[in-house]
Amino acid sequence: MNKFDVVVVGAGPAGSTAAYLLAKAGLKVLLLERGRGAGSKLLWGGKAYAQPLRDVWPELDKEAPIHRWVTKERISVLWGERAITLEYKLGRRVAFTSPLTELAAWMARKAEAAGALFLDEVVVEEIVVKDGRVVGVRSGGDFVAADVVIDAEGANRLLLEKLGLADRPNPYHMAVAAKEVISLDPRLIEERFGLERDEGLSWLVLGDVTLGIPGGGFVYTMRDTISIGIVLNVGYGAEAAEKGVLRDHISRLLENFRTHPYFRHYWKEADVIEYGGRMTVEGGLRFAPKRLYANGLLVVGDAAGMLVNAGYTIRGVDTAVTSARVAAEAVLEARDKGGFTEENLRGYEERLRKSYVYKELVDHSGVAEIFGDPFFFSKVPPFLVRAASKVFEADYAEPTLLEALKTSAQEEEINMLRLMLKVGRVVRRI
Amino acid sequence: MSQPSRLRPLKLEELLRRNVWDVDEERHIEILRQDGLPQKALQLLCPMGCYSMAGDKLLMSYEGCVECGTCRVLSTPQQIRWEFPKSGRGIQYRYT
Repeated sequence: MNKFDVVVVGAGPAGSTAAYLLAKAGLKVLLLERGRGAGSKLLWGGKAYAQPLRDVWPELDKEAPIHRWVTKERISVLWGERAITLEYKLGRRVAFTSPLTELAAWMARKAEAAGALFLDEVVVEEIVVKDGRVVGVRSGGDFVAADVVIDAEGANRLLLEKLGLADRPNPYHMAVAAKEVISLDPRLIEERFGLERDEGLSWLVLGDVTLGIPGGGFVYTMRDTISIGIVLNVGYGAEAAEKGVLRDHISRLLENFRTHPYFRHYWKEADVIEYGGRMTVEGGLRFAPKRLYANGLLVVGDAAGMLVNAGYTIRGVDTAVTSARVAAEAVLEARDKGGFTEENLRGYEERLRKSYVYKELVDHSGVAEIFGDPFFFSKVPPFLVRAASKVFEADYAEPTLLEALKTSAQEEEINMLRLMLKVGRVVRRI
Repeated sequence: MSQPSRLRPLKLEELLRRNVWDVDEERHIEILRQDGLPQKALQLLCPMGCYSMAGDKLLMSYEGCVECGTCRVLSTPQQIRWEFPKSGRGIQYRYT
């Protein structure tokens, strides 16, 4: 086989971004994808932040498969049949919804159009190292030589583990999601969620949709489908299963969510047209491999831990795209310095540390603390909902807010002081 | 397709019928050692329900797998061999 300047492993958002930028800069790029077509192995909630993508593709708004621009953000705390919902109406267009199958296919087409060679149905089995440097990849019996390999293999880092740069992940740093795609007439989506023609809604749900297990539920409106899902932290989910707190299959939690009286009227006559699952990174920096670069190698996207979970918002695609953009810049810089040695590729991590991605990952480390404390999922939601019920469901005189909180805390056996300390500790870092 | 009663929770088997797979004839995930596997967690958290009990042993049916990796992080390489299906096989997501 031929020799390439760059071989990119994985045509997800990170891989296609790197391939696009490097092909555009005139390098000979091979983009390898294990699925049939780009996107066929991808699943997400449904929302991407546009500006970091425009930094790569200024033509994004005109060309990309944008389904709806998010104009409403909702967060609900649900317990039993009761719910507290906060809604924010956005003032400008910041994020959009799209199925990742479509969005990733578009990104791979951009890479191809820029001159990258795209090959699908290729499972890379090994990143080949010779004399202390990466020299290419192996798939089946074929070896492809490359000056530099960009690893965009995703959250399942089989290749990095083989290289000894990562271990099997800690289950507490990962989350598993089950998702349904519900098909619904666009006019009904707009009527029921109160949206204009190209407007969309993003909705996160906490509470007993996960039975109090760290995680949550989500709803995203696409053009003519709605994406709903349940996310559970793998470590805590496994604990709950072994202890008998979780007795139903995760798909049952999702179906209970879909048919819950508070939600079901939005899609009451709609069909589920697809059901899927994926595992996602929750640990962010804690999931990052031992190093993001080596002689002839760069790691980008989910594989690099580039996923920010700020609790109220989750960013994975724009951060993947940005990590790949920064990696592409570092590759070009290394080429100009005369080679893809570890020393010359160091610019990747330095640039990444200066980028908004790293700032996001560090700033939101408080979320890791929330996710590391099941209290926030099992105790806080019922406490808040109970307090609200005292205020809104009083037949005669309702209590003051403070009274409602105090008595609810007692009834839920929560120490108010401890609660306030915990909240105070994390609120600065979410 | 589904009955008018869309407001009743669907069973996993009914949900799986919505999907498209191109199943590899070769199994890509295999239980190597039963000892110490979190049986309940694997049965309840694998989104596609690939894990079930046969007597006191855990059984893995790879046909409905979506290659998410949840069983992988819940086990060691000695307990479960985990690879991707060959050349484009496996789940074919369309609208996700």
